[in-house]
Amino acid sequence: MRNIITIIVRLTLSCLIAAFVIGLCFVLTSKAKKHNEHVNEEKVIYSLLGYKGDAHPPESLKLSVLYRYVVSDPHGKSIGYLVPTGQGETTAFSFIRLDLDGNLIDQKQVAVGAEDAVEQEGRDKAIQAALGPGAELTYADKTIIVTENGNRISYLVTGKFPGFKTFVSVMLALKPDFSVRGLAILEQEEDPGLGAEIEKDYFKNQFIGKSFETLKTLDVVKEPIPEEYLKALESRLQKEEAAKIREQFKDHAIYALTGATISSRSVTNGISGTVKKFAYRLNILDKVIKDQKIVVPF
Amino acid sequence: MANDKTSMQLVANGILKENPIFRLALSMCPAVGISTTVMNGFMLGIAVLFVQVCSSVTISMVKNLIHPRIRIPTYTLTIATWVTVIDMVLAAYLPEAYAKMGIFVKLIVAFAIITMRLEMFACKEPVGASFWDGLGMGLGFMIGMMTIGLVRELLGSGAILGYDVLGFKPLLFFILPCAGFFVVGLMMAFFNYIEVFYKRKKGFTS
Amino acid sequence: MNLSRIRLIAIVALFCSFLPGLVHGADLISQQSFGEKNEIVLKFAAEVDKLKAGNINNYTVFEEQDPDIRLELVSATPNYAGTAVSLRFKEPLNTAHTHIVTVKNLGGVEKATATVSQSYLGYLFSILISALLINNFVFTKYLGLCVFFGTSKRKTTAKGMGVVFTLVIVASATMSWFFFNFILIPYNLNFLEIVVFIGLVSLTVQAVDTILRKVNPILFNSFGVYLVLVIANCVIIAVPLMMANNKYNFYETFMLALGAGGGFLLALYLMSSVSERMQLARIPPTFKGLPIAFIVAGQFAMAFLGFSGLKIF
Repeated sequence: MRNIITIIVRLTLSCLIAAFVIGLCFVLTSKAKKHNEHVNEEKVIYSLLGYKGDAHPPESLKLSVLYRYVVSDPHGKSIGYLVPTGQGETTAFSFIRLDLDGNLIDQKQVAVGAEDAVEQEGRDKAIQAALGPGAELTYADKTIIVTENGNRISYLVTGKFPGFKTFVSVMLALKPDFSVRGLAILEQEEDPGLGAEIEKDYFKNQFIGKSFETLKTLDVVKEPIPEEYLKALESRLQKEEAAKIREQFKDHAIYALTGATISSRSVTNGISGTVKKFAYRLNILDKVIKDQKIVVPF
Repeated sequence: MANDKTSMQLVANGILKENPIFRLALSMCPAVGISTTVMNGFMLGIAVLFVQVCSSVTISMVKNLIHPRIRIPTYTLTIATWVTVIDMVLAAYLPEAYAKMGIFVKLIVAFAIITMRLEMFACKEPVGASFWDGLGMGLGFMIGMMTIGLVRELLGSGAILGYDVLGFKPLLFFILPCAGFFVVGLMMAFFNYIEVFYKRKKGFTS
Repeated sequence: MNLSRIRLIAIVALFCSFLPGLVHGADLISQQSFGEKNEIVLKFAAEVDKLKAGNINNYTVFEEQDPDIRLELVSATPNYAGTAVSLRFKEPLNTAHTHIVTVKNLGGVEKATATVSQSYLGYLFSILISALLINNFVFTKYLGLCVFFGTSKRKTTAKGMGVVFTLVIVASATMSWFFFNFILIPYNLNFLEIVVFIGLVSLTVQAVDTILRKVNPILFNSFGVYLVLVIANCVIIAVPLMMANNKYNFYETFMLALGAGGGFLLALYLMSSVSERMQLARIPPTFKGLPIAFIVAGQFAMAFLGFSGLKIF
């Protein structure tokens, strides 16, 4: 009996010590983790916009983030966008609700600070408070609109679609006419050496420069990449020369990766679908914002 | 219970004589799974080194307090604690490398090598010796992982540490997941061959 | 045979509650399913006006998570009797997503909605098959290798280990699911997952050990030795971690654990069959033991690579 008690006491004690160590570590690292995630995301965004390494983005460059939600309430489903409002430094946020045909339902002020809006938890809470009870929120995705001196220069769109094995998540930089400016693969778990090559320049750079019209019907061909195009894609050529070759292949289908046609095809279809959906939604939102004369920073 | 080996001997023992991967053939999962590049091997090696050293030292410090009946649960708890710590640290400060290693960092908790060293060494020896032994084992694991990574990266993608050295890709096969088995098998056979060769030579001279 | 049929019926009964898509078909639409690549087939409870049923403007179809984006219809073809209609779309449908079809002004009903999704059972089955073959834990995920090479020398050992392992993994994964969803998530204690999962595994092993010793000593004598080895197996901790990563629900977790255990059993059995033959073969002395085992495992892994991309549903 005494034996059992000693065992229990010692086991509890060691559990407590372990919990203390783990808890301490959690407290110390959780902040750094969030910070690093944020820094990482910013790095991806700026490199997509062409500010790599030491090149600092100019002050006039501004990122406005739109968060899209699907709202379900007793009347049915609607789409909601959390948009920053006002010119210059944004402090106010509005939640614009559209019905499924793209007509405005209502627009509500959301009391949330710019810092809290970045974190999903605080954002959801603030929107829920603005909408009142009865409405159920589902976070869908976020879009970043990049402006320079008030002119839109780029859209950053995230997309997630099934690849060959699991999901592939990407971030696309689009020009205002929805042609592709850059592509970054954020997450993928394809086979190394085969499907994982979608991360390589010679595959993902093929999307750069594809116009919206081309993207809509973009196909994948099982042919080897022509040598000069490969060089241009891997940036092994002079800038002017590379640009010329890229121009030549601008409307060409995507060359599939060797041994990973399905991965190539799912990425191509996924990107095409993401851009199509985004263009459709943005046009609707822009029209509403214009009609309602909502002042937005983008 | 003084140990008659010096600290350097203990480290060398872990790296050469009782190398966890090639000699003891323990903890093979990561050796096959993510040893596609030298860098991956190095990062996981660091994680294992940390967990091994910390657990060895912890167990060695409290070895007189552990009730014999709950020996194994205490080991598991210690290892799990340190694995959680390194998991959180890596996730926070090296997110890119962490993403590449995927689930394997968390799986360190089930690595036989760590439990084995605790049971065989740390629970009997003083703190200092346990530290050196843990260091040796961790380094041995790291070096094993990096060697496999070196072979696979060089043959599979013609590069070392991400730098293109060959300029072409000799055999794409080596970077494919299943090649890990072949590389480990062939390297084990190679080490066996050296041992046999060495013994034979020694036998002739003496 | 009989047992498996009973089990199947039990599973069907269990999952029926999980199939809002089949039960919730409104009154007008009695059955709905995906047809060919770009087709949805609706069956009506009663005969409907064929002219109206053939008008594509009466239908709106969208994917559940994108309710604002309507899928473009090309044609709606009612069958001769007017009891079914085939909707064809401009682009192939993504059948992994749930589609919602709304029908207007048809058969005297102003509006009827139907949810079209792949059958949930099929999805669960695909998780099982995926863990068993496509993502076999030993040959394509490289987990549990220490135990794999240790216990695959003889067929009887392999079978014993595989069965014990499957039992333990199913039990511990289901327990982990409860812990994860009812304790770790609500209290935001995700970072404790490693400690909790490994603790549950040890607990399960200890429990199986004690129960087997008391209930069936004969079985314990033949299987008991493998129980200790189970703890040192990475698969057993990988399954709960994957469950936590993918946020699987209870049935999915169960299937994943079953697939993982079954896959391990399969791998052990295959390997032990080869090992028994290899004892008779003339192997170069440097390759004896582990090296040749690794090379054989590599060949199996290559063979299993052929399963990747296999889609059953």
